[in-house]
Amino acid sequence: MNFSVLTSQFWSLCLSGLSLGLIYVLISLGYTMVYGVLRLINFANSEIFMVGTFATVWVETGLTGHTSNSNPLHGFQLVYTLLFALVVSMLASGLTAIAVEFLAYRRLRARGTNRLASLISAIGMSIILSESARILTHSRPQASPRLMEKTSFGHIAGANFRIDTVLVVISALLMFFALDRFVNKSRLGKAIRAVSMSEENAKLMGINLNRVISVTFLIGGLMTGAAAFFFMTVYETTKFNVGFNLGLAAFTAAVLGGIGNLRGAFFGGIALGLLETMSAAVLGSQWKSVTVFVVLVLVLLVRPNGIFGEAIQQTRV
Amino acid sequence: MNKNSTRVLGAAAAAFLALGTLTATSAHAATTVTIAFQGPLTGDAAQAGQDELAGFKYALAVYNASKPAVKVNMIQVDDQGSGSVAATVAPGVAKNKAVIGLVGSAYSGASANSFPSYIAAGLTMVSPSASRVTLTTPQAPDFGGPVFHRVVGNDSVQGPALARYATKGVTAPAVYLVDDQSPYGAGLAQYTAPGLTKVKATTVGTDHILPTTGTDWSATTAKVLASKANVVIYCGYDVDAGAFVKSLRDGGYTGVFASGDGSATASFAKAAGNAAAKDARLTEGDTPFDNVATAAQKKAFTAASGVKVAGGYVTNTINALNVFLTCIKQGKTTRAAIATCVSTGKFPNFTGGTFSFEAWGDVKGGAPIGAYKVDATGAIIYVGQA
Repeated sequence: MNFSVLTSQFWSLCLSGLSLGLIYVLISLGYTMVYGVLRLINFANSEIFMVGTFATVWVETGLTGHTSNSNPLHGFQLVYTLLFALVVSMLASGLTAIAVEFLAYRRLRARGTNRLASLISAIGMSIILSESARILTHSRPQASPRLMEKTSFGHIAGANFRIDTVLVVISALLMFFALDRFVNKSRLGKAIRAVSMSEENAKLMGINLNRVISVTFLIGGLMTGAAAFFFMTVYETTKFNVGFNLGLAAFTAAVLGGIGNLRGAFFGGIALGLLETMSAAVLGSQWKSVTVFVVLVLVLLVRPNGIFGEAIQQTRV
Repeated sequence: MNKNSTRVLGAAAAAFLALGTLTATSAHAATTVTIAFQGPLTGDAAQAGQDELAGFKYALAVYNASKPAVKVNMIQVDDQGSGSVAATVAPGVAKNKAVIGLVGSAYSGASANSFPSYIAAGLTMVSPSASRVTLTTPQAPDFGGPVFHRVVGNDSVQGPALARYATKGVTAPAVYLVDDQSPYGAGLAQYTAPGLTKVKATTVGTDHILPTTGTDWSATTAKVLASKANVVIYCGYDVDAGAFVKSLRDGGYTGVFASGDGSATASFAKAAGNAAAKDARLTEGDTPFDNVATAAQKKAFTAASGVKVAGGYVTNTINALNVFLTCIKQGKTTRAAIATCVSTGKFPNFTGGTFSFEAWGDVKGGAPIGAYKVDATGAIIYVGQA
């Protein structure tokens, strides 16, 4: 155990953990939104994330012609390119999510098939997407260029406030709160919550179930696409199987916080990001996964619905 | 025509056809044989395999252009540098009777998982780069004898060389040693650690990471910064090493970054970006092709492989293939004859002189370890022996 790292790097680790955790939060929204309305895990969400990362690479290299060693952009050109990459990544993931809903869920739901069939078809979609990317990229990692110079705003209490980390933290927080407000205040958000509470009653109230479910997949996909963009901004590399570990982590975050619960996903993601970073620093990187799952099991033993599963049930999607 | 005449004619035709097939087979065996190349041709480690494949194609083209009595064909076997993939592709190669020898695998884990198939089939292997010590240790469970040979120095040679080179010219070296928990990375780290003691460096920390695409290196970076290390040694592969050094430089680390042959490919600088990769110190059990080849050889290399600039382990791959080609020139065209020839013969070294193998498959007298530095354009430059 290496506690000495905490004396000089505590706040730096907190900032890294927070940034990683907020990426988990955005991905976990894809799981938690779908679970909220369908009571099913969308196993293809990890590949929806992967599609977003490739869309970001496509914009940043294919469209702008940047290479991994091009000079960083500045000013308006930088803002415009990053915003464009964010929008394309969100759209690519959002549309993929709608396609997954249409192909893997809707037909089966219409025929009243067993829930397990939908689960398996989602896994099938996940494998199709992942293997297609593997074949198209010859299994090789794809790097995105460094469009934004990783300048520092300065050090506060030893933490390096780097521009990419700050961008992820602020943007992800804004996105989460915007989504939370949308779900709780807007008409469509209320319809999503109504479906989540009772599909039958929502139908009787005249809510178009298919439309609400498609919108839910779309919103989950948009959030996952945003996570993909932020991930590429910080880590700058992707691969056909990039979604596996991140998807697993985000799913764990959703369960930890209380799956089906937006605010649960938020706290679960941040808790997981911090836990991973701190355990890797103190215990060693080899203990990171062990620590995370030991904590998850312990939490579920005490609170089977996740940390916030019961406390904020009313805010459920 | 009665029934008996039909039978006699049928038997004669069958005998004629059988004789014809036999003659054709014998003639085919005498004029054309196949050598396989096995390595990662796709996946994360593809750069290493593609580099070696280029060397293989060059040496083969040179041989076949010399109008030999026995022509040599090649087949490519993609194991993605992964032990599990190797275990699935090796049985097919072993069953292919046309293959009388195999250059590869590039990686130790993939080599070890191929052994059961190749040992059972008596198929001799010569690896250009698989450096895990136990592959040539008779008591080890992953011992590859009698089929496995290699032309690269093993990790017990590379580890201390990496320690020497990483700390060279550094005042009071404080080293942070990180490995990727792979059989290769952990093995190299195991032999690097005592090497650090020998050069009077202080090991200020260690970490064992299991990198995947998108691994967050910030915790390891924070530990390196907190330890005040001025040398970081990473025992693992190129893409992960690139991501790690990028995280270190972004985090403000300004000391030496060093890594072994797993990182000595163009993928390292691609993953890191030229700015972060600059000045990284790399070791490799190979002498660069461009440093020993003539202008005509370089031109022939590009013509044969389609690769403009030779990458890592090209010279070793040429040496590995030349082991088989030397035996074939001597008329050894069966797996059994090749096995005897490889274990007892002397073979030309592309850098000059000859070499032969020890009983368990290593090169007699050891193989040299080269020292390399990454320049500002991401190119890996040879700077001498480590």
